[in-house]
Amino acid sequence: MSEYIVEMRGIKKSFGRVQALKGVDFSVGRNEIVGLLGDNGAGKSTLIKVLVGYYQPDEGEIYFEGQKVNFKSPWDSRALGIETVYQDLALVNLMPLWRNFFLGRELKRKIGPFKLIERNKMRRLALESLKDVGIFIRSPDETVAFMSGGERQAVAIARAIHFGAKLLILDEPTAALSVGETRKVLEHIVEAKKRGISVIFITHNIYHVYEVADRLVVLEHGEKIGEYEKKEVTPEQIMDIIASAAGVK
Amino acid sequence: MPSESRADVKALPWFYRTKELGAIFGTLIFFVIFAIISEQFLTWSNLATTFTMAAELGIVTLGVTMLMISGEFDLSVGSVFAVVPMVMAIMINHGVNEWFAFVVAMLVGVGIGVANGLVTLKTGIPSFITTLGMKMFWRGILLAVTGGFPIILSHKVGLLRYFGGAVLEDLRYSAIWFIALSIVFWLVLERTQYGNWTFATGGNIGAARALGVPVMRVKLVNFVLSSTLAGFAGLTTFGRFKIVDPTLGQEMELEAIAAAVIGGNLLTGGYGSILGSFIGAVMIGMVRSGLVLAGAPGYWYRAFIGVILIVAAIINARIRKKVAG
Repeated sequence: MSEYIVEMRGIKKSFGRVQALKGVDFSVGRNEIVGLLGDNGAGKSTLIKVLVGYYQPDEGEIYFEGQKVNFKSPWDSRALGIETVYQDLALVNLMPLWRNFFLGRELKRKIGPFKLIERNKMRRLALESLKDVGIFIRSPDETVAFMSGGERQAVAIARAIHFGAKLLILDEPTAALSVGETRKVLEHIVEAKKRGISVIFITHNIYHVYEVADRLVVLEHGEKIGEYEKKEVTPEQIMDIIASAAGVK
Repeated sequence: MPSESRADVKALPWFYRTKELGAIFGTLIFFVIFAIISEQFLTWSNLATTFTMAAELGIVTLGVTMLMISGEFDLSVGSVFAVVPMVMAIMINHGVNEWFAFVVAMLVGVGIGVANGLVTLKTGIPSFITTLGMKMFWRGILLAVTGGFPIILSHKVGLLRYFGGAVLEDLRYSAIWFIALSIVFWLVLERTQYGNWTFATGGNIGAARALGVPVMRVKLVNFVLSSTLAGFAGLTTFGRFKIVDPTLGQEMELEAIAAAVIGGNLLTGGYGSILGSFIGAVMIGMVRSGLVLAGAPGYWYRAFIGVILIVAAIINARIRKKVAG
């Protein structure tokens, strides 16, 4: 078995004349939290979208659990256990918690020729798996619009855990969160790791990811400009690297 | 969002989560008022007639509701309401078998829905525009083909009885269809995966897509449902009158949207209920017959519905704020 859950080699991707990724190597170990850093437009999102199959790379190879993969759509990657939680695209505000939790993967039971969803079971399971990761929700019927930003991230993370994700990709999970909420989300990320899940944590705030990350990868202008074990660097050094790469001295 | 105040938020009482609350109360209030004003209101004959009328609008509203929840509009339902029975009537008058004519007419309804959906989804123009265009196009065709004159059936058609014929005195088959279809679509919306996807598509299309919901297919199917149900509703009216006027169903699209909004459906999608639309359609039917019985001239009906619509939208917006922040 490969030591990496995911390995991307020499990934290149262009959009017209813009070279978004210029041959990036990126890997995530088993049960590892990797912080993916870089300024806006560094290529973080593009790299992730290539990984999950939203885009296909122009060049390069992707291995998942040692097997070469060629994802045609996010569906393919999800089927293998890669879950992505996007900042604004995680939950549907007007829908109750339980409907959100099982969206796209509703539990159904056959009644004659018809398939009906199992409402009570989904209500119960949603609450249980949230409780399991330390989130207490008053009622599964409450719309998620009522929840805070941190709670929503937590729900999305709990959902990924519940559905057996092996690799969890979090896109700016702590952006726009209060200090207390950020801390809670970080706890959920550590909790996910404890369950054997690998995590890619995309952010441009080194202080948020530094605490929980095992390894830090810095992208700039579509290239990997640095890769560090956390022990080797301080947050300040990373900040300097990002800033100087972006031309800010 | 302040996190300190979160602990103080209590779970909402059940009735706030009842999307149809406003519509239920409104309907009860009108029911009592009309019962007091007019002696005839509470007769079996009037209630049956009222419900039959409400049913014809209500069947249209069911489809409009599904589509609205998934985030799109259908302004062509009023025209489809006339096109489908017109196709059937013309074919029958040309000696075509009534069952065959029925199937072809319904397929025309399905086809208009597919066209609405494909044009909207492939080109990215708002469905408001697509279906407004369709509405005008088909109304124009109706008037051109008939020269503005109604089509009268040349012979008795047995099949029509099952669309709009009498079941029990003044209660017609349309009422039975309305109840049956309401139950079916209530089940579809509340108890199936497809219903969940419809809510999600209208609520946050990006999130739905990210979670693997085939949002385009969901919308397309709802366009087809809307158009097909409108055509079927037109057949129930046809079954009652045995005649198709090319102006049949004019402004029905607006009444159907009004019924849906009165029933607590959110115009911008993602929120609503079939039960609400059912009640909304019943309320509109009741106001129509109640005003007539109360001796008000027919013109007052529209003015009245206009006011109810605005009041309902305000009440529903308040309730929704409690439910969805």
